[in-house]
Parts: sequence; structure tokens; C-alpha cells
Amino acid sequence: MTNTRIFGYADPLNPKAGQSVDFMISVEGRSEVDAKLVRLLHGDENPDGPGFIEETVAIDLPTQLAVKRQYTQVGSFARCDDPDARLDGLRSFTLFAHVYPTLPKSERQMIMGRWAIDGNMGYGLGIDPEGHVSLWLGDGDTVDQITTEISLMPHAWYFIAASFDANTKQATLHVINRVTAWNSRISTVVPFEDDSWIEETMRVAPSATGDTADFKLAAATAWNPQRGKFAAFLFNGKLDRSGIYDRVLTRDQVTALSTGEAPPQTGLLAYWDPTDGISKTGIGDTITDTGPHGLHMQGINRPVRLMTGHNWRGADSFHMAPETYGGVHFHDDALTDSNWEVTHTLALPADLKSGVYALHLRAGEAEDHIPFILRPDTPRAKIGVLLPTFTYLAYGNEHLSYEAPIAQAIVAHTPVITAEDLEFKKLEEFGLSTYDHHTDGAGCCFSSWRRPIVSLRPKYRMPAMNFPWALPADLSLLWWLEHAGYDYDVLTDHDLHAEGVDALKPYKVILNGTHPEYYSEEMMDGTEDYLRTGGRVMYLGGNGYYWVTGLRAGEPHCIEVRKLDTGSRAWQAEPGEGHLACTGERSGLWRSRGRAPQKIVGLGFTTEGMDASEHFERMPDSFHKRVSWILKGIGDEETIGDFGLAAGGAAGVELDRYDLMLGTPPHSMLLASSWGHSDNYPLVSEEVTYAFPGRGGTQDAQVRGDMIYFTTPSNGAVFAAGSIAWSQALPCHGGENNVATIMRNVLDAFTKDGKLPGSQYTGDEKLWR
Amino acid sequence: MADDSRYYQVGQRPREVVLHPAGDEPLRRHRVPFTRRHLVKWRSRANPKSLRHERRLSDKRPLWWVLGLGALLIATPFLSNSMITIAAIFCMFAAINVLWTLVIGTAGIFSLATLAIVGIGGYAAAGLNVWIALPWPLMFVVGGLAGLIVGGFLALPSTRLDGLYYALLTMGFAEICRVFVVQLKVLGPTNGSINSVGSFIPRDWFLQRPGLLMGFGGAFILLLLSLLVFRIVNSERLGMRLQTAREEVGGEAFAEAVGIDYRQARLYVFLITSGCLGVIGAFYAMFYMSISPSIFSLDQLLLLFAMIVIGGLGRSEGAVIGTAIVVLIDKGMLELGPLRILLIAAIMLGVTLWTDNGIAGIRDQFRTYRNRKKSEARARRTEKGGEVMPEEAIEFTDKQEVYYRRFQKRLRDHLKTLITDDLIEQHRKAPLGKHSDALNRVLNYFRRGEMADKYAIMRQPDGFHKYKVVAFSGERGAPPRLVDDKTYEDINDAYHAVFLLRVNDLLES
Repeated sequence: MTNTRIFGYADPLNPKAGQSVDFMISVEGRSEVDAKLVRLLHGDENPDGPGFIEETVAIDLPTQLAVKRQYTQVGSFARCDDPDARLDGLRSFTLFAHVYPTLPKSERQMIMGRWAIDGNMGYGLGIDPEGHVSLWLGDGDTVDQITTEISLMPHAWYFIAASFDANTKQATLHVINRVTAWNSRISTVVPFEDDSWIEETMRVAPSATGDTADFKLAAATAWNPQRGKFAAFLFNGKLDRSGIYDRVLTRDQVTALSTGEAPPQTGLLAYWDPTDGISKTGIGDTITDTGPHGLHMQGINRPVRLMTGHNWRGADSFHMAPETYGGVHFHDDALTDSNWEVTHTLALPADLKSGVYALHLRAGEAEDHIPFILRPDTPRAKIGVLLPTFTYLAYGNEHLSYEAPIAQAIVAHTPVITAEDLEFKKLEEFGLSTYDHHTDGAGCCFSSWRRPIVSLRPKYRMPAMNFPWALPADLSLLWWLEHAGYDYDVLTDHDLHAEGVDALKPYKVILNGTHPEYYSEEMMDGTEDYLRTGGRVMYLGGNGYYWVTGLRAGEPHCIEVRKLDTGSRAWQAEPGEGHLACTGERSGLWRSRGRAPQKIVGLGFTTEGMDASEHFERMPDSFHKRVSWILKGIGDEETIGDFGLAAGGAAGVELDRYDLMLGTPPHSMLLASSWGHSDNYPLVSEEVTYAFPGRGGTQDAQVRGDMIYFTTPSNGAVFAAGSIAWSQALPCHGGENNVATIMRNVLDAFTKDGKLPGSQYTGDEKLWR
Repeated sequence: MADDSRYYQVGQRPREVVLHPAGDEPLRRHRVPFTRRHLVKWRSRANPKSLRHERRLSDKRPLWWVLGLGALLIATPFLSNSMITIAAIFCMFAAINVLWTLVIGTAGIFSLATLAIVGIGGYAAAGLNVWIALPWPLMFVVGGLAGLIVGGFLALPSTRLDGLYYALLTMGFAEICRVFVVQLKVLGPTNGSINSVGSFIPRDWFLQRPGLLMGFGGAFILLLLSLLVFRIVNSERLGMRLQTAREEVGGEAFAEAVGIDYRQARLYVFLITSGCLGVIGAFYAMFYMSISPSIFSLDQLLLLFAMIVIGGLGRSEGAVIGTAIVVLIDKGMLELGPLRILLIAAIMLGVTLWTDNGIAGIRDQFRTYRNRKKSEARARRTEKGGEVMPEEAIEFTDKQEVYYRRFQKRLRDHLKTLITDDLIEQHRKAPLGKHSDALNRVLNYFRRGEMADKYAIMRQPDGFHKYKVVAFSGERGAPPRLVDDKTYEDINDAYHAVFLLRVNDLLES
């Protein structure tokens, strides 16, 4: 293995020609790397296709970039804005918090405090490796501690308070179990005795930390000579309301606080109330201090908000009872912003052709492609390719093959991994995808482009099924458009989210990527508005318009999704935690919120399997003159797409089905359907009400992919081929094949103004046969 | 293999006294003054069976020490005069042995000069008392200084000589001391002894009951002080550093690598104990109001050595128990004559033959023995990945795992019957896609396996169609391992190779 490692990311991921893009690069083992800008034409190295193709672009860019190793703060926590250091150098004090630990850990976990790990200074309340609550006091030389006797039970709410009296040096710890019938994993029937009240005279009084540490929730401050200050002793679990006094509270006062009563004001320094500031549209990263000094907390790496608090009593969402949504979930492996320094800012000329680009870096054997998607300064082509950047983020750095025992059963494959992938996974610095679990088992609901993402690299193949996925797969569509001589612009989910229908309107036709799975309300509306006003969509993917996804206004880099209730979900949100913190809306499937994908593009998710892709066959509707032009050049019984770079067929991986009951437009024509799927293609869970055997491809007629066509108002139309593998069949046989034939037929028609072919055949058929 | 698949009942009543502290009442913890240590070490847990809070003494040794030494203290005034003397001698020798244990056990220096240092301390203190009328309280100081100086000299070669050679050297040193004292002209008339030494025991009470009791009291305090020294050295930084150097894995090399100067720490321990032994020497001279060259003699040394060996090296309780046994036999059964020496030798032989580390180590040895017997019994009663027996079930937190084990076993037994040459050939022809029902079942079992050691294929950097078989670690961040060195040039061959490995694992399970 090489000693040089290159990692980087581009911000924004979707710049416009005429603007600029920042590259954040970290390199180990070199101080300079060769750099060039390339346009990515094809990713998949599979010898059955055109192979990896990139084209160097002449641009004002140094041939060598000066680089250094950059460090990433992994883990979520909150840092207090305390410019006057009111929480430093305290003499007597009381710390308190409602705590829901989720994972015993082999190192300390800090709940709250101003603790300098390196200098043994300050005070900190946390959990020790045995799971005991512990208050640490440090005078810069010696550390003293008081510890409870019993380990905390994970996934249960506790009230914890710790006080220190500077005059008597007496420290006191209170742990009061707050488990109710609603709020914890276990209920009140469990006879556990976790309460604790410990008193002890300490030898050490805490000293002021000054600049060596700041007050944090869920972390302490560490330091090392290369990195400087960073957060460590990260906590896993939820914290609800917490606060600090400059005096010792009596037991009665502690008991009152534990029930959630408002804190008495005498001596109160800060009271952090995560429910303060919750609005209909969610909440940000700030945890407000409602105490006298306004010492607000700023969340780093997005502590998960709108989680159920200690006083939650079954409300479906924060809309009904916001005062019970004080839970803030912290994770020691969360990452939403690597926060690296900008290595190079690249100005993008206004005339740079729209497409997928990458900064290609090389140093010896090591190389990296840092991709970004360039939108034209103004729309230039008739064809717009809408690249599903939400999906790219959702799958970013997924660990399924490595960590999910069921992954091999889902994809029916033995995974195929590469050395590059291992190198990336070994570091564990670049965060998770929305398909992964945090260390405490909770699902990961955020994914951000402000971090290196290995699955965006153009040659990357998803290890689970050994073919490209998302961006690398979508490059097959772009390659074919180039090959077939069509002029196109690319745009992204993020553009559609930001601008709605205006982003699509300039184009005669919009092509989807292979897997447009993650959609925000703005994107759903934009697409629907476009189709209603004469737009034409070629939906060339599987499992599209599926998860309710959100972005916080002004922060496009980080998507949020909560997986719940039904659907093919890598994890399941805990009860009451299904709403997005960034928008306040209910997440889960669009189908569960009344907007099944069939209502927009006529098809919706029905099955997935990754062992082998199959072919489409013409269905009788395809011989109607309204649509027969689509299949011009295809034999009556010709198998369509029995080839492809995704498991050897055009119909496979994830498949979508026509279903009037789910909102497919009633005048849709069923042009073709796929046949012959194995039992590794089961019917999806949202279709399963009663479970009974025989829901696999060899026994269930709903396990198939459909190809349909329907018209929308003002000469609009949708052509939908509901299969992820569709576009990855295009490059086969040199780009000239029957899948390509259909594509040309549709594209040629859709790019023309006015009435669509076949639109005159609306009469009632009076037939002799 | 014996087929013992009976279900034995498990379950026991608690056999230890536990406290149940109330969570809503303050629990006040006390510390040893001027330290951050607690007086005794408590351990709490939620009893996994009742979930009740149980608090118990985690280290019960302080309890046993208080009971043992307390009984000695209370009983001695009621004993006969000769028995009081024996108790006092026991305390004195126990004190010496505890310190010796520090040298051999903690510092790891195999010194046999212990009694020599005691003797030199005693001679120096007694000499100065007799010839320049040094008051008796200062004799302790003189004894300590003498011990420290001699210890300093003896320490020098300890870093250059290993084990046996150093032991011989120190034994030689004791002999030199003896010969030197015996040949001293001044001491000629008394055969090398110094008599009429001053003492904390008033001269009128010497060998009288009050005097004997005072002597015992002094010796008892001496023992307490040496135990304190032992405790402080072992539990503070010095002892911790040496603990690292004694670890079986890495040991000295590791200690050195992490910046621990264990040689220096050893020297410190040696010097501290030498000073203390010198003080004991002064006490010895006062206790008998004389001191004779027999203190340097080999038989005395070997008797002490027997005490340490019988008790167990490296532990203070070993030193004390060993001393008690040997002193009781040697001084308490005088009527047996030379037989008692044989008896001591027999005990020593027995202890070396049947125990790992003396009498004090018997408890650990018994536990190890029971654990070994337990493992053997389990190995006889269970097969790998098979049924969980009741005695194993208590170790499962998630009882569902117990069901999974039984289910998986039965599933495997069934799947094994499906493996045929035809089935393998079917997979070889088409590893992906539609399969017969039997093959589907076998494949689905394989695919659902746990992540640890689950097979995967690794594409080689020097070709698109070059693959090797690896197995996942199952741990985030830990890379997979290579299963074998074979390279496959067709992905289907690689899939089939993994299949064959899995079939093999299944049939072997």
C-alpha cells in the first residue's frame, strides 16, 4: 500500500459556470500534488463498456498544489458562547442535566463541563468506562473524582446533578432515575435501583482553564501539538435540559429540578433548554440559554434535534407537544462538516461546458478525483440531465458491506471490495451515510458534502453488488448522450430544491439519473409544476421520489432524512422522532404522506435485487399508434436490454411498477415490462400488509419493472423506464443497442416543440379483430 | 466424545453479605487522611438476577488483616510467657519477611542479605549504645542509617548481576559479616556478641511478664509499620512502575519503552527496605538486650527463606502466614527436637510440589483449577456453535441468542443434507440469478451470516478481473484478512470459490 494518501472535497458540489468552487484537500506523505481539471465522461471500468474516460480541461490552475494534512473533528457536541468566561474558575457550583445514555464505552464520556484533558484542569461531569456517573475536578496537576456506585442502564432517562462546595470541598452526586411508561427503552415494571446520592470530601478544587478549554455539552477539550484543540471524550446519547449554578443546591432543589420544574433563579448561571426556539419549521443547531446571561450553545456536527425528551408522553411529533421534545442526540462518530481549510479556489469560466468535472490529484501512486457538477451559467441545451445529488449524499461513504449482516442477503452477492475502499474505511474520519448506524446503534440521519466521499469517485463501484452506483452509474447516461450526439446541460437536485420549477423550465426535456430516491417537498413541487406546464420528463431510474428529505435554509451541503414506518429502510427512527429538524415536516416515505411516486411519474418502487438484471418485453399497449413511435425499430417480440453494466440487464437492481391504486395516471400506456426475476427480488415491505410466503420474483406478479408513457397538460409527457439498470445498459455494444434506440426515439420527440407524436390517435377504436 | 447432554440445574443462593444502599439517602464516602484513597474498596453492582443495588467489599483483605492481627493482639496477654515470646518473635520475623518480600517480590532482586542487614543495623545500634551510651530511642536511627548505608553498597552490584549470582553474592556477604564479627578482638571475650544493650524495656522487667508484653507490643508495632511500608511502596508510583516491569508480556522491555526507569525504582525499593531492616536490627538488639553472630548464620537465613516459600512469594499475607507456621513449629514445638526441622522441610516440599505460589496463592490456584474443570466439562458437553447448556445460558444477556444458537444448529443440520455434487455444480455454472430451491436455501443461510469472518472478494489493483478471497473483521476500521493466496480471473470463479469455502465451513460445523 502506498504511503501517500490524498483526500478532498469540493464546496459547493454544484457550482455554476462563471462562479468558483473551493477545494479542501488533505494529503499525508507529500507537501505538493499534481493537479489538473478533468471532465468525467465515463466512470465504470467494466471492459464490457467504454471504460474509464476523462478529458483534461485547460483552465487557469497551477499544475502543482501545496497541500498538508488536515484534521477532522468527528463527533457531535455543543460549545458554549461564553466570551466573559462566566463558567470558568467557578468556586462552588452545581451542574445538572437530564441524560439518556445509549452506549457504555471504553473511555470517559463527558456530559457537560469545562474540562481540559491535556492539562487536568477544570471540572467535568460525565460517565466513566464502567458506566458510573463521575465528577472530575482538576487543579492543573492533580485530578480528583467522585463516582457513583451503579452503572447507568443504556436507553433510560436519568436526572444527574453534581455539586461542589469550595469552602468544605464537599462534592455531591445525585442520580435520579426518570424512567416513565413512555420515555425509555424499558418501562417502570423493571425493578432496577439506579438512584444514587454520594457525598465525599475532595482533595482538589478545580482551577480555571482559561483558553485551554471551553464549556461544552457532550465533550471535553483535548489538545495535541499537530492538531491544536479538539473535542474528545465524546458522549453517546441524548441530553435534555441542563444547567449550572454558582452555588450548591439542596437535595430538595435537586429533586424539584429532576421533575422538570423551572429552575430557581438564585445563583443560576445558565439553563440550556433545547425546546426553546422550536418552531413549526424545526430548529437549528443552537441550544438556547434561557438563564440570565444568554450563554447559548452551538452544536457542532449537527447534534440531532427534535428528539423525544425526558417528559415525552407519546406525542407523534413536536408539533403537538414541543415542550416534550428537548432531546438532543449526540454521537461520537457524527460528521457533517470536515471544516478543512481551503486548499485552492478555482474560478470557473462562464463558457465552461456543463458536465461532471473532477479535480484530478496525483502524487506518485496515489490519486484522487474530487468531483463537482457544473451547471451552465445560463441554460444552453434543450436537454437537462437532473443529477440526483441528494441520493449521492444519502449513499455517501456507505458501510453496508462492512457492517450490515443482512446486506449480502439483500443483494444476493458476495461483496467485491478494493484497496482504495479499505484505505478510506480504515481512517473512519469521513463520516457515515444515511444507510449506516452510529456507534450506539441509532441510524444516521444527516449526510453532507463537506467531507471526502469515496462513493463519489468516478471509478467507484458499490462493494455490495460490484457495480457503480449513483454518480459513477449516472456517468453511463452522460457518456451515451455524448456518444449519440445530444447536447445537454446538467443540473442537480440542489438546484431544483433551490429554484423549484424555474430550474427545469428552460429545458424541453428533463432526464433523471439512475436513482433519484431522495426528494424534498420543493423538488416534488418543482417536478409536478414542470410537468403540469408542458414539461417532459424521462424517468430513467428505479425507486425514485421515495424518501422525504430536507435541507436547512442556507445550508445546502447537508441533507436530513428520517427513516420510519415502512419502506426499504436501513434503520428505523425511534417512536416520535420521525420529523425533520431542518424543516419540521414528517419524514419517511412520500407515499405515506399522500405523494406516491406514481402520482408524478406513473411508477413507484416495487422490488429490488442485485443478483442479476433481466430484460424488458413489449406489452400489447406498445402497438398502439399513440406510443408505437417510441418502439420504432424494435421487433415485436424482441427482448429489450438483455445486456448491461449493472448485473447484465436493463431491468434490474431496483424496479418500479405501474399501479392505478397508487396514483398512476389513468391514461398511462404500459409499453413494456420486465420478466424472469429470481426470488432475490422480493416485493418491497411497503406493499406487504399480511406476510405470507411467495412474494419473490418467481411467484409474485408485482415483482417487475414497467415502462410506461403518459401525457401531461400543455403537450407535456412522461416516459418512464422504472429500472436503475436502464441507463447502465446504454454503453453496451458500443452505445448502439435497442435500449439506445428507444432513448433516441423518445429524446428526438421530446426535444421538438409542439404536439407529441401519436397525440392525434385519441379516437375510439372500431375494430374488426 | 462422551455424550452427556443431561440438563443439570443451576442456581445458587448468595453466599456473601451485601448491603443495599438506598438511592434517596446520602452515602458518605470516607478517605484516608491526606490522600485521595478510600479506606476500603467497595464495589457496587446491579444484581443481574434481581437488578437490586448490591454493595460489597471489593477487596476483603483489610478485613482479614484486622481480624487476624486483632485476634493476635487480644489473645496474647492471656498466653503463657513462652507463648508471648513466640508471638513477639513471630511479629519480628514477620516484619522482616514482609520487607524481604518487597525486595524479592516487588523489586525482583533476589537478595539473601536480609538478615545480614538486620544484623549490621543491630550491631551498629548496640555497639554505639554500649560504648558511647547512645540513648535507646536513637538506636533506631543508627540502625536505620547503618541499614541504608549497607543497602546502598549491596544495591550497586544488583543491576549488574542476575538472579542466582546475586543471591550467592549476598549469601557470601552474610558469611563475611559473621566471620568479621566473630574475629573482632573487642568482641572476643563474648564470642562476638554484644550484651547488656539498652532497651525500651526497663531492665527490671526483662524476661518478666510485663517486659515480655512490652516486647510483644513493640514487635507488633514493628509488624504494623513494615506492613505500612509494604503497602505504601506497592500501591504508590514506585510499586506501579515496578508492576509494569514485572508484566509477563513485554515486562522490562515494555517498561523501558514507555519511559519507566525500573532499575532506579528497584534501587529505591532496595534502599527503603534496607533502612527499615536496619531499624528492625536495632529493635532485635533491644528485644534480646544483646546481639550475637548467629544472626548472620546460614541456618537462620534458610529458616526465614522457608517462611517466605511456604507463605508464597510477593504477597504480604504470604510472608506473615509462612512466618506464623514456621515460627509455631520451630519455637512452639521445641519438644519435638530436630524432628521439627524435618517437619518444616516436609511442609516446604509439599508446598513447592502442590502449590503455584505458596499458601497465600491457594485461593487463586483453586479458582484456576475450578475454571479448568469447568471448561473441560463444557467441552465434553457442548459442540462449537451448538446447543447452549443451562450452565452457559447464565452467561447470555440476550436470551434470544440462545434460541438463535439452537435454531442455527438445526438449520445447519438440515442444510448439510442438501449439499450434493449436483448442487455445487449448479452453483458453479451460475453463481448469480435464479437457483433451485435447495441452492437458494443454502445461499440465503450463507448470506445472512454475521459480519465477523464473513467472506468477501477483493479486486486486485493490477487488473479489473483479478480477485482474491478475503474475510471481514466485523469491526469498524479494522481491515479484512486474506483467506488464501489464490487469484481468480473471472468473477464467477471467485463467487464459486467463496461458495466452496462456505460449504466447507458448513460441513465442518
